[in-house]
Amino acid sequence: MMRDLGTSKENTWCTGCGNFGILNAVKKAIGELVENGSKLSDFAITCGIGCHGKIFDYLALSGIYGLHGRGTATAQGMKLANPALKVISFGGDGDSLGEGLEHTLFAAKRNMDITLILHNNGNYGLTTGQFSPLSEPGYKGLSTPLGSIEKPFRAIPLLLEAGASFVARGFSARPDHLTELIIAALNHKGFSFIEVMQPCVSYNNNYAYLNQKVKLLEVIPTTQAHAIDLASDPDHVYLGVFSRKNLPVYHELLYGSANPQKDRPDYLHRQDILHAK
Amino acid sequence: MAIRTVIIGGKAGEGVKKAAQVVATTLFRQGWQVFQADDYQSLIKGGHNFSSVSFSDSEVHTAYAKANLLISFDQRSYTAHSEDMADADSLHVYNSDMTPEAVQEARGKTLGLPLSTMMKQIYGPGGNVSLAAVSVFFLWMGYPQAELEAVIAREFKRNVEDNISYAKAVYQAARQAGIGGSQIPDSEFPLISMEQSVQRFTSGNQAMALGAWLGGLDFYYAYPMTPASSILHYLALKTTTHKVYAIHAESELAAANMAIGSVVSGARTAIGSSGGGFALMQEAFSLAGITEAPLLCFLASRPGPATGVSTYTAQEDLPFALNQGHGEFARIVAAPDSPQRAFSLAAELLSLAWEFQCPVILLSDKHLSESSQNLTLPDEVPWARVEQGVPGSSYQRYSITESGVSPLLFPGSENIDDNTVIKWNSHEHLPSGLRTDKAEAMIAMKDKRNRKSPAISIATQRHERVTFYGEQGTAVFAYGSGVMELREARKHCSKPFIIVALIYLTPFPSEELSVYSGQEIITLEHSSTGNLDRFIRQNLDVSIKHSVLRYDGRPFDPLELAKIMEDIL
Repeated sequence: MMRDLGTSKENTWCTGCGNFGILNAVKKAIGELVENGSKLSDFAITCGIGCHGKIFDYLALSGIYGLHGRGTATAQGMKLANPALKVISFGGDGDSLGEGLEHTLFAAKRNMDITLILHNNGNYGLTTGQFSPLSEPGYKGLSTPLGSIEKPFRAIPLLLEAGASFVARGFSARPDHLTELIIAALNHKGFSFIEVMQPCVSYNNNYAYLNQKVKLLEVIPTTQAHAIDLASDPDHVYLGVFSRKNLPVYHELLYGSANPQKDRPDYLHRQDILHAK
Repeated sequence: MAIRTVIIGGKAGEGVKKAAQVVATTLFRQGWQVFQADDYQSLIKGGHNFSSVSFSDSEVHTAYAKANLLISFDQRSYTAHSEDMADADSLHVYNSDMTPEAVQEARGKTLGLPLSTMMKQIYGPGGNVSLAAVSVFFLWMGYPQAELEAVIAREFKRNVEDNISYAKAVYQAARQAGIGGSQIPDSEFPLISMEQSVQRFTSGNQAMALGAWLGGLDFYYAYPMTPASSILHYLALKTTTHKVYAIHAESELAAANMAIGSVVSGARTAIGSSGGGFALMQEAFSLAGITEAPLLCFLASRPGPATGVSTYTAQEDLPFALNQGHGEFARIVAAPDSPQRAFSLAAELLSLAWEFQCPVILLSDKHLSESSQNLTLPDEVPWARVEQGVPGSSYQRYSITESGVSPLLFPGSENIDDNTVIKWNSHEHLPSGLRTDKAEAMIAMKDKRNRKSPAISIATQRHERVTFYGEQGTAVFAYGSGVMELREARKHCSKPFIIVALIYLTPFPSEELSVYSGQEIITLEHSSTGNLDRFIRQNLDVSIKHSVLRYDGRPFDPLELAKIMEDIL
């Protein structure tokens, strides 16, 4: 029986927050993976700053609570130093597609073997509801009182173009489906990205809208163009896997099957290398 | 014996630096003490570059501005350096195709050779004029043609046959013009065999990279910025042989945060940049502070602010290095006073970072980072050790200890069981690593971190925190390449002075320097406002009699500096 993945930390998400669905799905997914042979001690987590980041304190898993926007950079460093780790980076939409957009795109470009779970609540919740890179035009927040005049990014097309080898979308109110996606992402070798649609009950409560619009993908689209069309469909919020490809992963291209943490040359070995002809 | 200098000048793209490297490494392999400095601009083709190689049978600490042998590839180099002859015996070999009407120089001899015409005859289009400099140098030293051919074949791998033909042609043309027979004693080829030697010829950047690696470095993350880039390039070249991984990240922000991720996984990790890039790493530097991440940071200065002057030297970043990051936390800042010191200091700092779990900065400047010198590999350097925690459900990443140092464990390593949770946190945190904003918990954790500071101060005393060069005379305080300039100038200065070379800056080496309390001192630095003056006066009760400030991006010529010192002493 696996130990409890919860912590003593008091949960301060708003009642009804979509983050609860994500937290539960992550716990369930890791539970199932451990049941099927994964080592619990091989999971490591990181995050940025925002409501999403609090998940770090609610999960009794090792890792580092990172800086705003930088979680996915930190996650890559963790993975490179010990490729045996299954690293999950939790990011918010402002965090991972605003402040830290470069790290998200480059992790995908490198096909870094980590998982990014994007908590997409369409706004900056923790800093009181300002518009985010994924907010729709007209979104009114404290920094855009007249409504946002910017077009939003579309997370899935962006990540597909950047080279993510596993791209999916879930919904915090469909925890079983989300659990399956997280399991598939963690089992995927390469960069896996899950956009989780998540109502923000305080500033962007789109629960009814999402509930009405969500539709399960029946199959993985066979072309990237089709995947992008489906991900951008104005009439539906498709849930499921948009792309899954087996591609070479960064750490194996860098050092093959070595593990820098376990195989590091010791002092005497380094002296030998230094004096070798 | 005398110190000799070879200066090679030409356009970017003509292989000036490469030719000087071949000259310098040839001298080094012959057993000479060599110093090579490269003056270049931020461009790929054209402009004016020159490299200086000074050598002697005893240590040379910086390059000289006046040459015994000057080789100019183009008109601009000819004109720029026509006053730079050391004495009446000096020789200026220039490209007569580019400089048809040479004027008789103030002193020394000149010789025009049609280097471009000869190149065309042998290569047709293309060719490599830099070989001409190597040929002239070999002849001038009295080295045999067969050795020239061997060196050309080894060092210039493209188009070897034509290269050798061209090198020979220049060698013979120069001999016919009357150059040859060395005036330098003991220059027969080869003087000594370097095969078994523990000497290397490295730049400051190479020395610090190699020293850090010997001390345990596993990962290096950076974004290119002169003059720090060659740390990245050098370590990247060593990936296969040294099992060190150098990652060129998408930005300095990425590099610094990736680095801290690797630290969490247990890797000895470093980052590096120059001022502008390091500014982008500042937030992560503070992250290393609060998370207690041991992180080695290389800061190689150039003239600022902002983009400043990309390829020249400065020491403007002293306050920036000392005050890096926001918030309060312990750190160590130290500056090597030679490429030699850079090797051992990098290992020392990596080891101290891991002992005290704090960020450390190795501060250098372009002149120290990019100039090359003989390096004697030390027998031993410190090895970065980890104080290991005990795995299990009671493990706490930030356990409150008397020393302030909390034992470490790394996720996914072999001794970690399923009940061990290792949580690092950028927020203020409880011993468990969970976030907190409680008043007592804040105080407890800040006090824990602060308790490390006195121990750090004591621990740094294991190492040479200050070095004194000289026995008598006024104390001249300097750090970084300023020390190198003063050491070389001291050879030519008729008045005595003691160089007080500050190696460790934070914590300040008060114990070693207390003898200067109440005294008059002189300072030297490459800054326009006197950062070193202010820093010393904050920490030591001295009066500063004179500050030698230079801020034109150029290092001092030792003879010029000797005159300045004679005037002010």
